[in-house]
Amino acid sequence: MRGIRSLLDRIEPNFTGDGKFSRLWPLYEMVDTLLYTPARTTVVAPHVRDAVDMKRSMVTVIIALLPAVFFGLFNTGYQLHPEAGIGGNMLTGLQAFLPMLLVSYAAGGFWEMLFAVVRRHDINESFLVTGLLLCLTLPPSVPLWIVALGVSFGVVIGKEVTGGTGYNIFNPALVARAFIFFAYPSEMSGTPVWSLADEMTRATPLAAAASVPGSNGMQLVYDAGYSLQQLFWGLIPGSFGETSKAAILIGALLLLLTRIASWRIMAGGLFGMAGTALLANVMAPFFQNPMFYLSPLDHLLMGSFAFGLVFMATDPVSAAQTDRGRWIYGFLIGMLCVMIRLINQAFAEGVMLGILLANAFSPMIDYMVLRQNIARRKRAYAKQK
Amino acid sequence: MAKEAGGVTRIRKGHDLKIGGRPEKIVEQANFTGLAVVTPADFKGITPKLSVREGDSVLAGTPLFFSKRHPGMQFCAPVSGCVESITYGERRSLAAIRIAPDHKDDFRPFPVYSADTLGNLSPDEIGENLLRSGLWPVIRQRPFSTVADPERRPKALFIPAMPTAPFAPDIQFQLEGRGGDFQAGVRLLKTLCCAAVHLVVEEKNTGEIFTAARDARLHRFSGPHPAGNVGIHIHHIAPIRHRNDIVWYVLPQDVARIGKLFLTGRLPVSKIIALGGEAVSRRCYLKIRQGMTLQDALEGASLSEPCRIISGDVLTGSCRSVGEGIGFYDEVVSVIPEKKGRDFMGWLSPGLRKYSVTNLFLSRFTGNEGSRLDTAMNGSTRVMVPFGNIESVLPMDLVPTWLIKMIIARDIDEMEKLGIYECDPEDFALCSFVDASKMEIAEIIRDGLEYIEKNG
Repeated sequence: MRGIRSLLDRIEPNFTGDGKFSRLWPLYEMVDTLLYTPARTTVVAPHVRDAVDMKRSMVTVIIALLPAVFFGLFNTGYQLHPEAGIGGNMLTGLQAFLPMLLVSYAAGGFWEMLFAVVRRHDINESFLVTGLLLCLTLPPSVPLWIVALGVSFGVVIGKEVTGGTGYNIFNPALVARAFIFFAYPSEMSGTPVWSLADEMTRATPLAAAASVPGSNGMQLVYDAGYSLQQLFWGLIPGSFGETSKAAILIGALLLLLTRIASWRIMAGGLFGMAGTALLANVMAPFFQNPMFYLSPLDHLLMGSFAFGLVFMATDPVSAAQTDRGRWIYGFLIGMLCVMIRLINQAFAEGVMLGILLANAFSPMIDYMVLRQNIARRKRAYAKQK
Repeated sequence: MAKEAGGVTRIRKGHDLKIGGRPEKIVEQANFTGLAVVTPADFKGITPKLSVREGDSVLAGTPLFFSKRHPGMQFCAPVSGCVESITYGERRSLAAIRIAPDHKDDFRPFPVYSADTLGNLSPDEIGENLLRSGLWPVIRQRPFSTVADPERRPKALFIPAMPTAPFAPDIQFQLEGRGGDFQAGVRLLKTLCCAAVHLVVEEKNTGEIFTAARDARLHRFSGPHPAGNVGIHIHHIAPIRHRNDIVWYVLPQDVARIGKLFLTGRLPVSKIIALGGEAVSRRCYLKIRQGMTLQDALEGASLSEPCRIISGDVLTGSCRSVGEGIGFYDEVVSVIPEKKGRDFMGWLSPGLRKYSVTNLFLSRFTGNEGSRLDTAMNGSTRVMVPFGNIESVLPMDLVPTWLIKMIIARDIDEMEKLGIYECDPEDFALCSFVDASKMEIAEIIRDGLEYIEKNG
């Protein structure tokens, strides 16, 4: 250990001030602070600081994702050979997932570092989350070059062109996924892609629910061989991370307990989703659309709503940044997700678009909340005397 | 009896720092052995003009320099003796005036009044006496936390008598036996400012000195730091509307000093402060003299090196060397350990011994008991990612994230609308403390206030 420290100390002058590689300082800083807590001490008051930092915060998000990752690995194998046992299934899943993750980190990391060096900002730990999130939203069979292209688009267009982490309007992982979704629709939709098997045996629940006009959507899901328990535990075809609501729930609890994710966004999302779904239930007899029959619970358990709400919608940068705004933003996501699921027949899944749309609205929501705050302050001023 | 103003204002957001080395409630006398130091930079908003030269002999109460804008506002020597040196800092700004005391304690005389005749004084007489004696600067004003402008009158005057900052002295203990002075001070200030005097105490405070205080309205606050900061009190009682909406504030000990000046006719130069921190062996209340160096205050105490000596509390104080004086307004001296070494992969550790307000470390379960705060930053600077940490420790109805963004963008119009005049760096110190991006939020606020003061 001491060897690494002294090596780092020895090469540090090359990266600071007039050093040979001073442009590469962000790289040095990344490695240095990854291995050792920063040496910096406080210069101005306050003279003491909390132990929390960006690394810790982002690592917590990754830890929260781990249950979904491990379940995803297992499930990917399970969908191919249900009899292979836990070890065998995990191995199959790992073979599919690990190359994707490595490609995602390598390609995303490359852009991140390039921009950090050229634009002279620090490398933000959030790209570790972005890279992992993207892989978890992809089907297991997606080609690696698409992953690389997608993550490049997400990091460059979704984040760096607007100034890098902290300035992005949209969630970079979702931008990447949307890019892949629209640019390579054949790789991303239809029934065959959700499993490694060449011949797909069943449609995903959402596809099943929308399949026969004029009938009850949930009945169609049951007919396709799904039960609510299955949907909750997640042994069904789907993207890596989205299938098990149990695993997502564990992650959600961790994010809420650590207050990394805003409970307001999650609660707002649940309310928005439930409200819209119930409204649709009331109107269901008047429409041919089988999706109108889905209850809030069905919506929650099907597709990637839970995953999106817990891990994507709660990205603090692209979400609304005021407390009241977070409620509205969450509600909007829930509402939009269900509306897209119900009304837009072209996409069975509305979560990705719902969140991206709400991302676009979040500056406006914040603006509104700010004006309210200003008006409230004015009233408080008027009240005294 | 003081008029109680209704219920208790309960502050929920904030955090009481658990930091080792609390001062014990024993008052010890700090002996004056070295030089007395007057640091003009302690007084914000003042351009000092010297009125003495090196070698001049002065009495306690002799003016050393005055304000360029208000020549009547004088800043006086705390001891009698000889001006030993005058040092300058950047761009020939006055850095420090050092006086070698002659230990005769000769005081420049000021008029003496009896407690009964204080009520007959006019605001002008009071102001004049304060300005001449060098005690006027204990009155500060918001916005900008500068020394109060003697030509203007505030809409209210605040006496924050419940400091919640780490190691802050217990006001009741500090003012023991000085009830008469305090009451006289409150009366004088009430006459001087011709506005409401708000005395803010802790929810359960039954101290007679406060509950029996006449001429003041008593308010009760409760909750974690910064519930005791005057900025929070102003925000909840008489928020500052605009640039010219002025509020004055005076620390309780200084109120008593004002009273004493009028009752005795001598510049009261002794103060009781608290000395605390893990890196100092003696933790107690100290009776010091204004202008005393840290060297004298720490005499007889052993420091565990490496340590940092702070004039003021750990959240807002300034780092000083032992040869420098204790800040004019500071009522705490803190000595905390400097950070040593670097942890391997610190961000992955379970964090049983890491101090945090957040729930990201195991120390959450022990209430930060086993952890120790030193001067480490504990992270690298990153861009703002609004996790909500900042909001969780700021008990004010404003949107800090946006205010900070507008300050960085130098948008004066938006800064004003978002309430910058209500802000002071000391109220945002905890925000800097908890920020995951390690941004210097209190400094950004200071920067914004300075910018708007110059350009607004």
